[in-house]
Amino acid sequence: MSISVDTPTFIAFFVLAVATIAAGLGVIAFKNAVHSALSLILTLLFLALFYLQLGAMFIAIVQVLIYAGAIMVLFLFVVTMLASEDTGDVTEPARQPWQRGIAATLGFLLIAGLSYLLFTGASIDSAAVVQPTNVNGLAAGIAAYGGNTEAFGMALFHGFSFPFEITSLLIVVALLGAMVLGRKS
Amino acid sequence: MHELPISWYLIVSALLFSIGVVGVLVRRNPLTIFMSIELMLNAVNLSFITFSRYLNSVDGQMFVFLVLTVAAAEVVVGLAIIVSIFRTRRNINVDEMNILRG
Amino acid sequence: MTNLTVWVLLLPLLGFIFLGLFGKALPRPGVLTIAWGASGLAFVFAAVGFLSMLHVTPDSARMSDQVIYTWVNSGTVGTGVLTNNVPLNISFGLLLDPLSATMLLVVTGVGFLIHIYSAGYMEEDEGFWRFFAYLNFFIFAMVLLVSADNFLFLLVGWALVGLASFLLIGFWFTRRSAVAAARKALIINIIGDFGLMIAIFLIFQHYQTLNYLNNGTTTGVFNQVVAGGVPTAITTAICLLLFVACAAKSAQLPLYMWLPDAMEGPTPVSALIHAATMVTAGVYLVARANPLFQVSPAALITVAIIGGATALFAATIALFQLDIKRVLAYSTISQLGYMFMAEGAQNYTAGVFHLTTHAYFKALLFLGAGSVIHALGGEQDMRQMGGLRHRMKITFWTFLLAALAISGVIPFAGFWSKDEIVGSLLARATSGGGTLFYVLWAVALLTAGLTAFYMFRLVFGIFFGSYRGSGPLSHAHGAEDEEEEHHAVRGGFYAIYESRSIMTTPLVILAVLSVIGGLVGSWALFGKPGWQPLANFLSPVFSNSAWTGVPFHPAELSLSMDWLSTGISLGVAGLGILAAWLVYRRGFTYKESQNPLYQLVLHKYYIDELCTAAIINPLLWLGRTATSLLEGGLLDGGSRGIGWVTSRVSGGLRRLQTGYMRNYALAILLGAVLLIIYYAVVRG
Repeated sequence: MSISVDTPTFIAFFVLAVATIAAGLGVIAFKNAVHSALSLILTLLFLALFYLQLGAMFIAIVQVLIYAGAIMVLFLFVVTMLASEDTGDVTEPARQPWQRGIAATLGFLLIAGLSYLLFTGASIDSAAVVQPTNVNGLAAGIAAYGGNTEAFGMALFHGFSFPFEITSLLIVVALLGAMVLGRKS
Repeated sequence: MHELPISWYLIVSALLFSIGVVGVLVRRNPLTIFMSIELMLNAVNLSFITFSRYLNSVDGQMFVFLVLTVAAAEVVVGLAIIVSIFRTRRNINVDEMNILRG
Repeated sequence: MTNLTVWVLLLPLLGFIFLGLFGKALPRPGVLTIAWGASGLAFVFAAVGFLSMLHVTPDSARMSDQVIYTWVNSGTVGTGVLTNNVPLNISFGLLLDPLSATMLLVVTGVGFLIHIYSAGYMEEDEGFWRFFAYLNFFIFAMVLLVSADNFLFLLVGWALVGLASFLLIGFWFTRRSAVAAARKALIINIIGDFGLMIAIFLIFQHYQTLNYLNNGTTTGVFNQVVAGGVPTAITTAICLLLFVACAAKSAQLPLYMWLPDAMEGPTPVSALIHAATMVTAGVYLVARANPLFQVSPAALITVAIIGGATALFAATIALFQLDIKRVLAYSTISQLGYMFMAEGAQNYTAGVFHLTTHAYFKALLFLGAGSVIHALGGEQDMRQMGGLRHRMKITFWTFLLAALAISGVIPFAGFWSKDEIVGSLLARATSGGGTLFYVLWAVALLTAGLTAFYMFRLVFGIFFGSYRGSGPLSHAHGAEDEEEEHHAVRGGFYAIYESRSIMTTPLVILAVLSVIGGLVGSWALFGKPGWQPLANFLSPVFSNSAWTGVPFHPAELSLSMDWLSTGISLGVAGLGILAAWLVYRRGFTYKESQNPLYQLVLHKYYIDELCTAAIINPLLWLGRTATSLLEGGLLDGGSRGIGWVTSRVSGGLRRLQTGYMRNYALAILLGAVLLIIYYAVVRG
């Protein structure tokens, strides 16, 4: 596979990739839960940069706002609320020490398998991959509506309005559930 | 502009996903496990955006949008559960939660 | 001629049913009326049938086959010997021909006399009504056996007679030995029934019918035998299987063991069933199936050999027995061997003749022994008797006459019949039978000598010398447990009395028959060869070409050879009596000898012990092992094992549910990795 791409894109991708993976490793490696949460925020931010590189501006912003801004804050709330107690990570040894070895092996196998499949699978440009010919063609949309966000919005309210409504219902249910679970009884 | 091969982005996504999986299996703090699960979700989101770009379709981005929403709801409920467990047991080590055993 | 056989059959059956249902409530005279009435009328009707046959002139017409009920008449049975399909016809019919008429007279006549005798013998027994019910049932079964006109109902009668024997041997069922003896008799008889059934299957397979003679549309078995077509191997097999049944029923080697044990039953039972009538069913069957035997020389030789061997074997055992009934039992086995020897020499008339005379004197011997036992209150051991001729005169004289008859002393009944048998053996030997029949002739003569010896040992032991016992027991015999007999009070010699007239009258009648019963035999010896009433009467059955198509006459003996044979047999009998007189004239002084040969014969050659060790114990072991292995191990263990396996497997699987969420997640990951590896390796 020959790299026929200009250098800035390549450097940007490489730096982002390394950073994202490092932050991901940080999530699972830190003993302190707060450190893990902060690491996760970093990962989310780097992923938002990825999305920008891939041309999904709206999603990138939404990720930062909602994921990194609201969900991780929620996490941090609970982490710091429960951090004062014994979380068990540091003091007790694991009940099943062999779990770590097996998990590492399986993770490695997972990566190896996926990589193999990804590298030897059909290329996106090959004739075997069927190109979608839907009206939601992104390039056409962007050209028609003048940008990613506009195209996304038109698609959301014209093609995906039903999932949109259902999702709002889901949020209401989650809200109610959280209220019920959170009550002191 | 020349594009990078799609498989590169997907490799990154796969790596993140695996890291999340290992995290779920290794950590004992349920909050950290939850964070690993979020990591997995985000890796999949990256895949979706990649495909959306390379297949010239908005469906991928739409999917990510909805996943984001569902992830939010899920986090809310999950954290509420963890908090209520903590209230009764005063301990949130998953190794201690093995009552449902044969 | 009048065929009233159906009444001869039905009356005892009705008697049995009535007594069985109501006998317990009836008083003794009522029971006796029904029992005597049934058997007496049966005898009358049998006699009427017999008499009506005497003056029927063409021999072939001396037969009446009365079909009572057609059971099955449908379809067709293959081709086989005949070339056209025959309909399947199974019917219940009664055949009245010379052979069956003779048997009927013997059965009902002796049966009736024994009914009379039993009224006295069983007077103190509580099961009085039951005894007479069983006796009537036996008469019914035996009449069915001898008068059936096809093999199927012969088999029915055969089995029913076995049942009657079982019921009557085990009549005192509270005694363990009686129950065991009844069981033994039944089991050995069932072996015979099995042989008979296989024979019937073979007959049906090859002759497509079970009727003896032509009956409407079907051709009888015997008619087909003459037409030929069935290989000799098959007919020999059929005859040998029939003979297995005869050997079981008539107590020949090797199925004789039940008869001595059957003496556990009351003495009238021994007289009727095990001397006069039931055990002669085997002789009857061979005589009835004579066409089949005539075409199977190998089977006839087998019959003769076994008859001869049994005669000698049983006579040797009878020499040393101490129980008077057992002496008579072995004597019965021996005399039955004589009858089979005659039939093996193809002189069926002689066999049937000896059957009739044997019925007279053997029944008389048993009834006389019963009279002695009754007078002594249950004592059967010869060592406790002696000198009884002074106290029981009628019993003594009738017993003596019977002993003379069985020993073959002229002019009593046994002489005529035994001489005919011995003569027929010699005749067969001289006319082509070979050395085998010479040997059998010698065996017959030797056995005659032994017979005379042990019979007169018995006579001298019971009736001569001085009394060795301590008097009659003062309670009813037999029905109590054995232990009680030792504690009873005994009177002295002068407490023994002759039996009542109800018991001695049949003795006298049978004694008269034992004297004159032989005169219907062959007078060829005395210069009147044409004067043989019984043979002439029976000839259609054995030699009628119109019936069976087998023209046959038994070999005749020249007059000089006849005199020779008769002389030797008389001489041998005389020697036997003389020897017994020399040894036992002062009475029976018994000293048990330690000679091992004596011990061997005294213990009946240890045959019973051999059977127990070789057959019964292995079977019991097999049963016990099968129970523990199959039932305990396989079935019980199997079902328990399934439960055990299930619980172990579930216990093992239970361990998968650890309760740790991480383990479950690990399992999920493992599955996913396996899937990916599959895609990478197989499809990639």
